[in-house]
Amino acid sequence: MIIDSHTHVDRFGWYDPPETIIGLMDEAGVDKSVIMTYGDAPDVEGSLEYIDEAVQRYPDRLIGYARMNPRGGEKAHRLFEKAMEEYGFKGLKLHPVGNLCHPGGPETIDMIRLATRYRAPVLFHCGDEELTLPLQVAQAAEACPEAAIILGHCGGYFHTKDAIRVAERYPNIILETSAMPYPQIIKEAVERVGASRVLYASDGPGCDLTIEVHKVKLAGLTAEEQEALFYRNIKQILDNVTAGGDPL
Amino acid sequence: MIVDAHVYLGPCLFGYGQSLEEIRVNLDRLGIEKAALVPVKPRNYHLAPMNELVAEAVQKYPDQFFGLCRVDPWQGEAAVAEVRRGFEELGACGLYLDPWEENFQANNEVVLPVLQEVSRYDRPVVLNAGHLRVSHPTQIRDIASRFPAVKFVACNGAQINISGMLQFEARRMLEACPNVVIQTAGTYREDFLEEITTEVGTERVLFASRSPIYDQEFEMARVRFAHLSASQKEKLWGANALGVFAEPGLKPNNPESTTHLQKKGFDGRGNSTKGRR
Repeated sequence: MIIDSHTHVDRFGWYDPPETIIGLMDEAGVDKSVIMTYGDAPDVEGSLEYIDEAVQRYPDRLIGYARMNPRGGEKAHRLFEKAMEEYGFKGLKLHPVGNLCHPGGPETIDMIRLATRYRAPVLFHCGDEELTLPLQVAQAAEACPEAAIILGHCGGYFHTKDAIRVAERYPNIILETSAMPYPQIIKEAVERVGASRVLYASDGPGCDLTIEVHKVKLAGLTAEEQEALFYRNIKQILDNVTAGGDPL
Repeated sequence: MIVDAHVYLGPCLFGYGQSLEEIRVNLDRLGIEKAALVPVKPRNYHLAPMNELVAEAVQKYPDQFFGLCRVDPWQGEAAVAEVRRGFEELGACGLYLDPWEENFQANNEVVLPVLQEVSRYDRPVVLNAGHLRVSHPTQIRDIASRFPAVKFVACNGAQINISGMLQFEARRMLEACPNVVIQTAGTYREDFLEEITTEVGTERVLFASRSPIYDQEFEMARVRFAHLSASQKEKLWGANALGVFAEPGLKPNNPESTTHLQKKGFDGRGNSTKGRR
């Protein structure tokens, strides 16, 4: 079983219909994928509905996250609640490059606290760009110790060591493997923070799922550790969500 | 044929590095037939001895390797002279410039004398590209446009940005500059490589690993699993690299080019002359 913790479908800007990710999942042997748009709600009207439609079309394959702009205030909060309670989404995605909200800023913290009401994980884009650095995202983890904060891309090209460092400091930080190009960093992350706090993900369909699965397999992990990364950890996180329908 | 267009040789100031024998073991293990050796920046900052290390490796295994020489443009006339020595004495097939590690902007005036010297030869310039402050695709475009007769090989797909924000700029650069090709190593994302190959030109993408910074086996996966035809992949795997580096040839074009190596005790075929009578 493989669950991909970070993929995209969208019809706004970068056009990636759900069939694209489904095809790549089939190629790579991935059973289920977490999907989100490239744009934020409420800025992009209909983005949450698009995810909902995709999940409805492939309920056994796709799991919805709501990508939100924390500056959306009350409107964003109500939309997120709707996504969780009516659409059955399982998590929150934040991309500070897009919305220019500091990970430790008050709007972001409010959004994260709303997600934690549902015990929903919060997936941050965490790379080399301003507002997404691991030491910046760690401020959210520190402010919200009850939140499961996932560092998508594990710090990118140049900040992977920082990502592992902050994961060592904050037990609510979880590392995620997508797109960053170093199999050995996956191994180091597992050794330093434990296999239970590292998730496989691809950032597909732009990043190829087969290649991203291959990267984890090259990391020199035990079969048990691979199993944790490929599905056990994310299943446990998502089964803990109090809204969002049935367990995986 | 699989050609890895970028493999670092030697121990580097910045903590990475590999020996010639380690490189050869990995090439054999992975089925890579040929590789471009690139000098690292050593702990004493002196690049010239590393250029010699690469040249000696190429002399020792001429069927397996071809080499690049590396200079720091901040060294001024000494850098220009080292380009000349690299091409004429050491048999380098191209020049490696690293704006990131040598701390210069790729289109800074300091680079111009070096590129003017390169333009006297028919040899490519491999450029550590995609770094936001020193080798942004717009800076690559600027410098490549000013030297249209020089072939540039941009590392990292000419863009390092895990949000995908530089892909558009990198493509515009490639469309504007037919004298630029990109390496596959570390590139975000696979669909960018597929897009450039199919829409800009199959000859514009070279397989490279930049090992040991990147994992050589993993980097091969970017080509192996790409959604491209067999003929396209064949070009990426090696035909394109041989085209870029093979003219004027994978051998020195100057019959006197082994001067330095002869001094070090090698003949032109990589055999040691020490102890010969």
